[in-house]
Amino acid sequence: MIKEFICVLCPNGCELSVELDDNNNISKLEGATCQRGGEYVQQEIFAPQRNIATSVKVVGGNMPLVSVRLSEAIPKEKIFDVMDEIKKIKLEAPVSLGQVIIKNVLGLERDVIATKQVLREQF
Amino acid sequence: MDKKSRYTYDVIIIGAGVIGSAIAREMARYNLKIAVLEKELDVCTETSGRNSGVLHAGFNNEPGSLMAKYCVAGCLGFDKVAKELDIPFARTGKVVVGFDEEDKDKLIRLKEQGDRNGVPGLEIIDKERIKELAPHVGGELAMYSPATGILNPFIYTIALAENAHHNGVDFFFDNEVVAIKCLEYYEIKTTQGSYDTKWVINCAGLNADKIARMLGINDYTIYPCRGEYFVLDKKAGQYLKIPAYPVPNLKLGGLGIHLTPTIDGNILIGPSTEYIEERDNYSSTQEIMDLLIKDGGRILPYLKKEFFIRNFSGIRPKLADKNVGGYADFVIEEREEVPFAINLIGIESPGLTSAIPIAKRVIEMVAQKQELKEKQDYDPYRKGILCFNDQTLEKKKELIQQDPNYGEIICRCETITKAEILEAIRNPLGVDTVIGVKNRTRAMMGRCQAGYCETRISEILMQEKSKKEDEIIYARMRGNMFVGKVRD
Amino acid sequence: MTIKKDVIIIGGGPAGLAAAARLKELGVTDILILEREKLPGGILRQCIHDGFGLTRFKEALSGPEYAARFLDQVGKMDIDYLTDTTVLEIDSNKHVIAVTKEGLLEYQAKAIIMTTGCRERTRGAISIPGTRPAGIYTAGVAQTYVNLKNIMVGKKVVILGSGDIGLIMARRMTLEGAQVLAVLEILPYASGLPRNIEQCLNDYSIPLFLSHTVTNIRGKERLEGITVSRVDERLKPIPGTENDYDCDTLILSVGLIPENELSLMAGVNLDSRTRGPIVDENYQTNIDGIFVAGNALHVHDLVDFVSIEAENLAQAVLAYIQEGSFPQCSIRVETDDQVGYTVPQKVSGQKDITLSMRVRSPLKNCAIQVLQNDQVIKTKKMKKAIPAEMIQMRIKKEELISSEYIKVVVRHD
Repeated sequence: MIKEFICVLCPNGCELSVELDDNNNISKLEGATCQRGGEYVQQEIFAPQRNIATSVKVVGGNMPLVSVRLSEAIPKEKIFDVMDEIKKIKLEAPVSLGQVIIKNVLGLERDVIATKQVLREQF
Repeated sequence: MDKKSRYTYDVIIIGAGVIGSAIAREMARYNLKIAVLEKELDVCTETSGRNSGVLHAGFNNEPGSLMAKYCVAGCLGFDKVAKELDIPFARTGKVVVGFDEEDKDKLIRLKEQGDRNGVPGLEIIDKERIKELAPHVGGELAMYSPATGILNPFIYTIALAENAHHNGVDFFFDNEVVAIKCLEYYEIKTTQGSYDTKWVINCAGLNADKIARMLGINDYTIYPCRGEYFVLDKKAGQYLKIPAYPVPNLKLGGLGIHLTPTIDGNILIGPSTEYIEERDNYSSTQEIMDLLIKDGGRILPYLKKEFFIRNFSGIRPKLADKNVGGYADFVIEEREEVPFAINLIGIESPGLTSAIPIAKRVIEMVAQKQELKEKQDYDPYRKGILCFNDQTLEKKKELIQQDPNYGEIICRCETITKAEILEAIRNPLGVDTVIGVKNRTRAMMGRCQAGYCETRISEILMQEKSKKEDEIIYARMRGNMFVGKVRD
Repeated sequence: MTIKKDVIIIGGGPAGLAAAARLKELGVTDILILEREKLPGGILRQCIHDGFGLTRFKEALSGPEYAARFLDQVGKMDIDYLTDTTVLEIDSNKHVIAVTKEGLLEYQAKAIIMTTGCRERTRGAISIPGTRPAGIYTAGVAQTYVNLKNIMVGKKVVILGSGDIGLIMARRMTLEGAQVLAVLEILPYASGLPRNIEQCLNDYSIPLFLSHTVTNIRGKERLEGITVSRVDERLKPIPGTENDYDCDTLILSVGLIPENELSLMAGVNLDSRTRGPIVDENYQTNIDGIFVAGNALHVHDLVDFVSIEAENLAQAVLAYIQEGSFPQCSIRVETDDQVGYTVPQKVSGQKDITLSMRVRSPLKNCAIQVLQNDQVIKTKKMKKAIPAEMIQMRIKKEELISSEYIKVVVRHD
């Protein structure tokens, strides 16, 4: 069976054409410009993973939200569950870049981390 | 029972367009208790704000008509009004351009009509003179009218209303009139409450016939006639300094698609003339957009696609239906069977120019029935929002020193400062819509069309008016900008 | 009082920060960055998604993290910057007037670097018929509200235009609970990166309709719905293909325009194709000492290339400050009609150059060739080339064969 994928790992967005055997193992891969193409396809077939970016509410800061992402990608089907967890959080400023907001979110062995610095609002 | 004690107001004006606002301002000179009822959230939301912003000289109108009389008077008297109200205004002059012999005959007749109406200084000019006056305008010959001018219709109406308010007139927004009871006085029911008055002045524009029917007068019908416009970038402004019109085909009910520089330096192309069913359908349409580009390009061959920054449309409240065409004269009357109710019907172009003379006529009609005494403390002056960008470098420095908010640019395209935005938000009429800020300051009107400043303006509005995200209104009731917070 | 500066950088986004840091590294110390926002970082502050930095830092970073890398450098190197500072005027003598809450500032610079970024095309610019209610936003404005201001703009969304910010916002709105009904693209191909189609639309089952556009907008107060039509090859709506959508929000992602209003004041000439300035290999405009890089020069696909371009520019500015002028750049770079443009548009022939360009429509199995005197001097083979991606070709000075103009063309196998 031949399947087409667009690799999302980097902005090249390689169009991968993959030949799969009966066990969904890759027998031929075309279109990848780096090694990660194969890994991506493998993952995409068995357990697609994505990172997400969103925001967490901050009180008393120089901005109302701090942007966050996950330390690493999570299974695609967990995205909205993780979103629900993130929506529950309210932080007190200051927040530092890289600060872990939720450790091991939903037991997925991934952390929610701040991607921005929020200072305390100066009065 | 003493009649006088029964009602709260001597005069209630229905409609805060330019006519209602002008009547309010002029009547505020006298010892009358006056209120204005407006269905929308600001003045000038319908016809009065949606037009070319031209102060007409008065040559297009039938000699002897009210239109001709009031237009000429309004035009000649405007310098004084503009000065009192501190509004930008320029007597640019205007050319009506023709392309052939047939146009020439029409222009000569137009000039004769204008002469009879008392319009000063009209002349027929040749191609060379056109090039001098408006170097980029096409055409073989033209009629030149030196008295014609341009103004910002929003600022004018806002100024009239603010000055009226300053002299004691009450403004009630979001008050749509739903019924009028004719007792010994009038009881006006609106969507918000009930108001008693001796006099009713119906300036409801597109809905003037509806209001008249509430008063028991059934023989007026307003025919909505839409005109679409394009707004061009200020970069195009260099190509046109004075309004340029084609020879009018008056049968159509408009003056023909023309080009008008705005007082702020943009150019308007339009309006089209299209009778429509709904009175509030301000849609733009593909067919008309195409037509505007075609007809506009005939007069100004320099049109480039990148100049087009916005569309809008206005609706003329016409008394002449599609089959009759042309212009019916203004109706300003008090019916014997409905005393103390003055109806102003079919106030279309040149209504903006005629507003003050129309207001004076209404006052005369009131004065025929009751003695009007001038108030000692009437103040005809009003101060506009100071435009930072128009000031000298020295003055700019001084302003920032006085108020650091002048040092914060909110609208980048038009260089509008936070001080100006705050002044607009703190307007005396209490208007708190985003469009209200736009019309008072020009913020959001530039080439980025609010991309830079809209987020800032809505934020300042929330802070100043202690509003939540879902309470910020764009232009009209229920026109909410946002649904709430992302994170509570 | 006029303050003298070697270099004034207008705009503290990715291009401005990168240029400043490199200049300082090169030994230029008298630098000032002027930024109109409250915080530096430019558009990256609101681009909270990841995918930045893979080229420049070999890591996947979010926009704010990418900006922080440069901000850290600027901070450590003690480079001066002013925020809340809007430049009102510049002129060809490199005189700069800026406004702050403390007062007006006047500068005399030896060189000005314009890193003013770009702005979005609006509804008015594409003249969509219909009413003008609340609920119509450009993608960048919606992104500002959602990611910076904590304001949700709507619940039921249609997106017009398949530009990257529109695709990113489709996913962003979905994650925050909005329903994104469709993304419409008037062209027969997407204008955003394939990767974003995949991870922003396909991942969330958001349909993309190519060759479709909005032909009517309904709603008097707040947006109530739109009409969508299919378009023919001339991009004209096909009657009978209308389809109505009920929605409260329309997000427009219909193109970016380099922001050059200040440059125009100084007399800088623009290229009608890029809508950014015409520059030489030193990123210098036609006005001596006024330089430009980043999205103000031409709209980039990736911020990494913005930073790299600005770093290259810094090298040239150093030379300008030291030597006061450059070798004459009289070799024009022209293109055929399949290559949309190139930057720079003129070169000297005495320096290695990198030509940045985009193709105007998607191509497969083609080669981009650089010609001089009708001879091929460089070829880049491409399995696919799409307008969404910027293409770069490096040409060494030895590869040029004359002082005749250069032409960049597409050849098909």
